[in-house]
Amino acid sequence: MEQHPRSKRPRRRPVFTFILLLAFVLAAGAFALMWRPALAPQQRAPSFDAATVQKGARLAALGTCAACHTADPARPYAGGLALATPFGTVYSTNITPDAQSGIGQWSEEAFTRALRAGVSRDGHLLYPAFPYDHYTRLRHDDIHALYAWFMTRTPLDAPARPNDMRFPFGFRPLVAFWNLLYLDQATWQPDPQQSPAWNRGAYIADALSHCGACHTPRTRLGGTDQRRYLDGGEAEGWYVPALNAHSPSPLPWTREHLASYLRTGIAPGHAVAGGPMQGVVENLRLADDQDIDALATWLHGYLQKAPAQARPAPAALRSGGLASPDAGDPDAARMRLGREVYATNCARCHEAGRTPGSGGALPLQQAIALYDPDPRSLIHIVRGGIEPPDGEPGRWMPGFGAILDDAQTAALAAYLRRYGAQQAPWPEIEDSVRKAKQP
Amino acid sequence: MTTYQLSVNGRGHSVDADPDTPLLYVLRNDLQLNGAKFGCGLGQCGACTVLVGGEAVLSCLMPVAAVGARKVRTVEGLGTADAPGRLQQAFIAEQAAQCGYCIAGMIMRAEALLARKPSPTDAEIRRHMAPNLCRCGTHMRILRAVKRAAGSPEGKA
Amino acid sequence: MSAAPSSPARRRILAAGSLTLAFSMVPAWGQGGKGGKAKLPGSLDKAPMLDAWIRIDAGGRVTVYTGKAELGQGIKTALLQVAAEELQLAPARLSLVTADTALTPDEGYTAGSHSMQDSGTALRHACAQARDVLAEMTAQRFGVPAASLALREGVFAAPDGRRANYGELLAGKQLHLRASPASAPRLPAAHTVAGKSLARVDIPAKVTGGRAYVQDLRLPGMVHGRVVRPPSPGARLLSLDVQAVARLPGVLKVVRDGRFLAVIADGEYRAVKAAAALAQAARWQMPAEFPGGAGNAALVAAQPTAQPETILERGALPAGPMLRASYTRPFQLHGSIGPSCAVAQLVQGRYTVWTHSQGVFPLRAALAELLGTDKEQIRCIHTEGSGCYGHNAADDVAADAALLARALPGRPVRVQWMREDEHGWEPFGPPMRAEVQGALGPDGRIAAWQYAVWSAPHNARPGKAGNLLAATHLEKPFAPPPAKPIPQPEGGGDRNAIPYYVLPNARVVHHFQPQAILRTSAVRSLGAYCNVFAIESFMDELAASGRIDPVAFRLRHLDDPRAIEVVRTAAARFGWDAWRRPDPRHGRRGRGFAFARYKNLAAYCALALEVEVALDTGWVRIVRAVAAVDCGEVVNPDGVRNQIEGGIIQSASWTLLEKVRFDDSQVLTRDWGAYPILRFGQVPDRIEVHLLDRPGQPFLGTGEAAQGPAAGAIANAVFDACGLRLRDLPLDRASVRGRA
Repeated sequence: MEQHPRSKRPRRRPVFTFILLLAFVLAAGAFALMWRPALAPQQRAPSFDAATVQKGARLAALGTCAACHTADPARPYAGGLALATPFGTVYSTNITPDAQSGIGQWSEEAFTRALRAGVSRDGHLLYPAFPYDHYTRLRHDDIHALYAWFMTRTPLDAPARPNDMRFPFGFRPLVAFWNLLYLDQATWQPDPQQSPAWNRGAYIADALSHCGACHTPRTRLGGTDQRRYLDGGEAEGWYVPALNAHSPSPLPWTREHLASYLRTGIAPGHAVAGGPMQGVVENLRLADDQDIDALATWLHGYLQKAPAQARPAPAALRSGGLASPDAGDPDAARMRLGREVYATNCARCHEAGRTPGSGGALPLQQAIALYDPDPRSLIHIVRGGIEPPDGEPGRWMPGFGAILDDAQTAALAAYLRRYGAQQAPWPEIEDSVRKAKQP
Repeated sequence: MTTYQLSVNGRGHSVDADPDTPLLYVLRNDLQLNGAKFGCGLGQCGACTVLVGGEAVLSCLMPVAAVGARKVRTVEGLGTADAPGRLQQAFIAEQAAQCGYCIAGMIMRAEALLARKPSPTDAEIRRHMAPNLCRCGTHMRILRAVKRAAGSPEGKA
Repeated sequence: MSAAPSSPARRRILAAGSLTLAFSMVPAWGQGGKGGKAKLPGSLDKAPMLDAWIRIDAGGRVTVYTGKAELGQGIKTALLQVAAEELQLAPARLSLVTADTALTPDEGYTAGSHSMQDSGTALRHACAQARDVLAEMTAQRFGVPAASLALREGVFAAPDGRRANYGELLAGKQLHLRASPASAPRLPAAHTVAGKSLARVDIPAKVTGGRAYVQDLRLPGMVHGRVVRPPSPGARLLSLDVQAVARLPGVLKVVRDGRFLAVIADGEYRAVKAAAALAQAARWQMPAEFPGGAGNAALVAAQPTAQPETILERGALPAGPMLRASYTRPFQLHGSIGPSCAVAQLVQGRYTVWTHSQGVFPLRAALAELLGTDKEQIRCIHTEGSGCYGHNAADDVAADAALLARALPGRPVRVQWMREDEHGWEPFGPPMRAEVQGALGPDGRIAAWQYAVWSAPHNARPGKAGNLLAATHLEKPFAPPPAKPIPQPEGGGDRNAIPYYVLPNARVVHHFQPQAILRTSAVRSLGAYCNVFAIESFMDELAASGRIDPVAFRLRHLDDPRAIEVVRTAAARFGWDAWRRPDPRHGRRGRGFAFARYKNLAAYCALALEVEVALDTGWVRIVRAVAAVDCGEVVNPDGVRNQIEGGIIQSASWTLLEKVRFDDSQVLTRDWGAYPILRFGQVPDRIEVHLLDRPGQPFLGTGEAAQGPAAGAIANAVFDACGLRLRDLPLDRASVRGRA
């Protein structure tokens, strides 16, 4: 073959090489980012002392692990709960120590890596529906106690259900890029300016109860927007209220109310936990009282910043009855319908109350859902009610989903917003009602 | 008192009632229908279950003002003692009653399921029937009766 | 269901139409019986005239009477079968009239699983004797021996074909004859109706919206009452403003008599709203009168105790270490699915009360005292309610209705308790505590057994006005009569406290507590529920201490062959000996066994069951239950199965979920949210009931036989599943979790 003089080689070659080299470096980098080694399976778990296991139990309660990992009360921690995310539906996995379908073969190192980095034992990346971006902040001894707890649960046979992800999010290694942006593995640090109780609460909130995962808005990529910490968010189609200066609550939250709410789901005369928060409370009530108090202290630190807003005077809040629509209301027809719906469905319990002992229902001027920036939570409560878990005693609000049609539901929401909360109208209520009916 | 036009079991009725009167009382007192029963008035026991617009509804909670044009169906609309409907036949065949007070509500709850899902699994039946309470403990027979009705063609159990 | 005001007194009917038979017409068995002092079978002893039980009109229509009431236990059907069998008539041709003070014998209460024993027996014998009298009359008429007659469908046929039916034989007269101690009921082998699973006569109406319950009663001019109860037993009424309430639409009357507050309105929901308004218009002072949040043992300890009574003393208690355990039960509800309801009307000084009370005759006596009138002026007609499972609020609402009928004479007044009323005010099942001690001898048999039970009263039934709730709230209140223990062998708190096992050295002591913190009375099986729970749990604890199989251990201590057979049958059908624990990876499973003979003299019930337990959530579910039952001669097999299945599920609900809660001033469990009961999600996969039929043997009460065994078997199965021995009822999710 003829040899071309060096000077006659095509000009694109160095660029081409450079691109190839760059691509190679990037690919290697990406691969390094996305690939994690499998950790050796463990044949037999070590034994644990009772005190450590008990500590793990309380930490798991604070971490609300069962809220996602116990779909069926007959099979605790066996997973199977569907969590709808913008990226697809994720099913929680079996975290019982079953060797075949659970975490029975996970060493403590593997368990730790999952909590800190969101990596499974065999190296695949976990979706951040599992909030390892919070659990990463756990102290080492707390992870050890959690490990002791989970490795001593009843092993149950429950293979993980395949997730149903939107393209391309089924490709797990992509999560590595999400981790780059949102996984901050720095050690949790207490705030020296705050009390020990506040700091205990802050640690619990961040490293265990992961309040911010719902109560802070998410970015488009599904990460927590830390600049708007506790500004409110959404979960499972519900609006999740802000827990800071932007709290919608018409009544100020006291520390006692917060502690009662977290422990029982009820702050008397103030709020009742509904929707996804019910699952949280079901777990928190199994936690240590001192820890709940600490969490309440920390929360109160934020909530007390809510300024005194122009709200109905406290006296009006407790008076019971809601006003009839003004004759001159621009939305008079809908308001009249909403008033009728309220008077014939809600007033019986929410105004007149029920006999003592069965629990009077909250006067609706106090209902936080009416003060939310959107009507989603109110609509869910009206349609589905609030019921205690199976076989447990609790307050019971029935659902009106089968009773009220869309027009009645929307009218009720509009009426309550205006004449209950005296807030500016919610836009597109009918749309929200329609969306709430989708599974 | 307002006058309401209600469609109940395929017939039109004109009823005078206060708007907040639960449908349960209208059915029982104005229309003399015995099927839907007062069990709690709080939506917790299902003894008052009827179908409104094809959906199972707790009639103790539903104000008559909310019914509108939706069609109401009660157990009386499924059949009579001489010509019982499919579910009713199944309940009689299985002797699915002790005191029987909850049974009309159970039948209407089941009717809503079978209309939507003609061949439910055992687990689906259990889940669907959960809002209805039975204090006598007739659950096993009720489940068998619903299964039996599901397995049979319309008109025959 | 009769809507007419009280009929002419029975005595007048009897006098007009009674039949006085010539002595020669009385069958052989009857000739020794006239004026004899021998005890008559069943309730015949209380109502010995045959025409109290059976009347035949000129057209041949047969009506039989019972003083018992249909509670949903199928008794109407079973009694019809008994009567139909003896009279050789298709059940559809018989009418049965149940408890009515104007029409039927007084058989006290439909309670204690006595109905078949008392009324079934009485009807069987009365109908057999009536049939034989009629046969004798036919024999005389045709001049043939009675034994030569064939009987079919109420028609006697002589060998030559001549016929005579019941109607023409009596021609409108009635059999005003005293029953004899001896009868010739049909032999079980010849039974054509009794012993068959006849379809329940009341079910078709109940599934098609027919009129079936007192709640369905609609009388011309009927109005609706609602009572506003004090918020707690000790609450004092400080002020009441009735003005606004009296002006509400439809309100006809506001009643106030001391702390008894009520409204009567022309429409039902108007009455409900008016009552809510009346409640808001009342201001009460509520004293702190309860040990709010106290556990079961503390509750029992807080109640005064009478002198202990030793109800069993046998042998000598050997010295040596004993295994000990303490078992407790909280207040629990009947929790009738349909809150109690009654209709009453006062016309010209005479009251008619339609009520689902278990005892219309005792209720009548109590109402007479309450209203200050003669019991002849009151007629109580039993009209079915929802299942009551004992002394629920049926009598109380009857009193409410009667008082409101008096306030608005002439109009029928219907009073329906609300859910909160029933949950808050029905007489509760009392808290109990059992302390057990036992020791095994070297032969693996129980060498020593000591049992002590504390219990508040299980009987606050009327009889007396003071047993009616409204009566205790009046301006001039009636005081509840002092409670008395129900004596052995039936017992109240000590029902089934004496084990049915062979125990050579045993002591059983009953500590009767005359007054509970809250009103208590009979709930299905009374003390047997807690006592059998305790005894059967402890039997397992003893068996485990000797490493003996629980079934074998029980068999070792039984000498009654019928008891042995039910135990063996339940175990065999369950597959007890071959049972292997399933792979716990599919859920923790355990098995449990229990046996009891209700009251040690009624039905035998052995129960084996398998449960699934999830400790972390506290979730317990019965997977499979297998029962074996011996209730003597079985009249309606399907009816018995229904009662036992129901008893197992109901007892499972009590055992796994139920507890009345209160704070220091009031009862808190006022609805199903606060007091959950078993829902479909927790019922077993399968229940089997195997009946050991004993044709010819006496009927044994069965309705309550499963309550205690279910509790014991569940507790034993939970222990087997996960090693948790729970002794304080209920074994709810919090207890199984070990934390809130």
